[in-house]
Amino acid sequence: MPDTSTTILPYATRPRPNWSAVVASQQAVLAILILVEISIFSFTGTNFFSRDNAFETLRQSLEVGLLAVALTPVIVTGGIDLSVGSLMGLTAVIFGKLWRDAHWPVWLAAAGALGVGLLAGLLNGVLITRLRIRPLIVTLGSFSLFRGLAEGVTRAVDNFTGFPESFTRLGQGYLFNVIPVQLIVLIVISIVFWAFLHRTTIGRALVAIGFAPDGARYAGIPVNRRILLVYVLSGFVSSLAAIVYVAHWGQAKADAGTGYELLAITAVVLGGTSIFGGRGSVAGSLLGWLAIAVLQQGLTLSDLPKELGGILTGVLLIAAIVVNQLLSSFTSRRRGAQ
Amino acid sequence: MTARHFLRRYQREISVAAAYLLLLLVLAIRAPRFFASGEMKDIFVSAAPTLVAAIGMTLIILARQIDISIGAQLSICCIVAGILSQRNWPIPLVAAGTMVAGLAMGAANGLLVAFINIPSIVATLATWVILLQAKKWWNQGEMIKGLAPDFQWFGLNQTAGQWAVVIVAAVLFVLFAAAVRYVAAGRAVYAVGSDAEAARLAGIRPRRVTFTVFAIMGVLTAVAALLAAVRLPHVDPKTGEGGFELQVIAAVVVGGVAISGGRGTLIGVLVGVALLGTIRSALVFLGSQAYWDKAIQGAIILLAVASDAFYRRTQ
Repeated sequence: MPDTSTTILPYATRPRPNWSAVVASQQAVLAILILVEISIFSFTGTNFFSRDNAFETLRQSLEVGLLAVALTPVIVTGGIDLSVGSLMGLTAVIFGKLWRDAHWPVWLAAAGALGVGLLAGLLNGVLITRLRIRPLIVTLGSFSLFRGLAEGVTRAVDNFTGFPESFTRLGQGYLFNVIPVQLIVLIVISIVFWAFLHRTTIGRALVAIGFAPDGARYAGIPVNRRILLVYVLSGFVSSLAAIVYVAHWGQAKADAGTGYELLAITAVVLGGTSIFGGRGSVAGSLLGWLAIAVLQQGLTLSDLPKELGGILTGVLLIAAIVVNQLLSSFTSRRRGAQ
Repeated sequence: MTARHFLRRYQREISVAAAYLLLLLVLAIRAPRFFASGEMKDIFVSAAPTLVAAIGMTLIILARQIDISIGAQLSICCIVAGILSQRNWPIPLVAAGTMVAGLAMGAANGLLVAFINIPSIVATLATWVILLQAKKWWNQGEMIKGLAPDFQWFGLNQTAGQWAVVIVAAVLFVLFAAAVRYVAAGRAVYAVGSDAEAARLAGIRPRRVTFTVFAIMGVLTAVAALLAAVRLPHVDPKTGEGGFELQVIAAVVVGGVAISGGRGTLIGVLVGVALLGTIRSALVFLGSQAYWDKAIQGAIILLAVASDAFYRRTQ
């Protein structure tokens, strides 16, 4: 087949990938990967194949799942948010400070923390939309700034503990003795984001913006407002993830969420969302998240080092993009005259 | 060109230089012992690795890419240097071996970005994690000791060694500054960063340029690792883990290199490195605390790109 990637063909006959087939096939590959992982770890891991462990797997990585869902619309618009993990750290310590040092009631402190997340997302969004700076460098800067502020506020050593049981139930409690409470949070957020991205006109607009920003602008979409919205939402969900994290581990430290941004981005890309924007799927991101969560839990139960998990995640990220590209070129077909 | 044209064209570099001079002025007034205590010399020696890495990062950002894996690359290069020296390899061979390691890692990045078409942020994020975790798995943080005596300061005494470090950085800087401006291959980097398709139509091979830029970054990171490691008689495998890549990117961005590629000079980056290196020390002398370092660095990156963008909007 001739290399058509650089030839200028008439628009109608240019081979275009069948995007829905690409996304569906990528998710099928992902589902198979998850099944393979489960099979392998059922053999090598102690007590892996059990209902309790299934819930525990979800519970351990839940914060990453929240981040992955929130990052999906961001990446769909062609942007990226590297600061989500660091924002978790900042929100966690501010939450701790409001509760312990300013003596706010714990749920008010949580609300305050969510406010911080909104403001942080606003900062990212304003720099990206008003000043037209590339999301990459803005969020690289805020990635450093947020973590740095968290370390500064706690003098790099302070640690907030002793939260009331009514609060830690959120991260350590179980409904009907089986379902982790925080899973409900993830389910609610996932449904909201799924509806937002796939069932509203705003969500459609996001896809258009990622596919062709100028085209979206000419179509009358308020591009800046939409982009600002996704970064604000990302900040909000990051702070929500931080609150779940603090409830889960019972302590608020400046290093909360370290490395989570990589896991979240990998989950999103694994799920079929294009890193270039223009197509994406919340369901896919959840599948990608599952693949990573099962991998991490499986390695822990098989007594393998967690560094191996990190390496495999990096490899998965690269593999996901390569597979995505291959699927796109395989499902390409000419439309029109021929 | 007229003086006015010169001022407009290099306004970024000039404003960074002005900020640097202002900082020195503030220090002269508020904490004059800064200049007497030999602190400036220490700053130059510890900024040398950053400068060398910043040269490579400048090329990468000029080509409209980014590389956030250099912290892990630096760590691994330090470890390689330590191990080779433990085996009593003479220092020139240690240096050569380290540079080969750096080249390999840089080439891997280049392969992923230039030939497999993975966006550089994602590719280098992945390689950063893979390299860092592989290193952690293999070396749990123990220092590498028992190095050959010619390792520390290249076998020279401390003063001569410090001069050697600074001179190596300075020579590399001058070479690359000249090359990027006067050699066709150097200008090709600007071309690819401005408009890769136009560069391709003009006969440049963007893939090759992109690959080479990452490979060069790898070699320069290895040199930076050497310049950093020879300061001590043992190797700390945690070198480079504390946000080295962000320091380097901050220096490059502050120095006026546009993150969208195609614009910027190495002279500006030199001033950026000097400014940021001095800020860190100056803050200590002016009474600030080390745990605010990361926050200040992030704020500097944001301020630098924001002021750039703001200025460009009002043009």
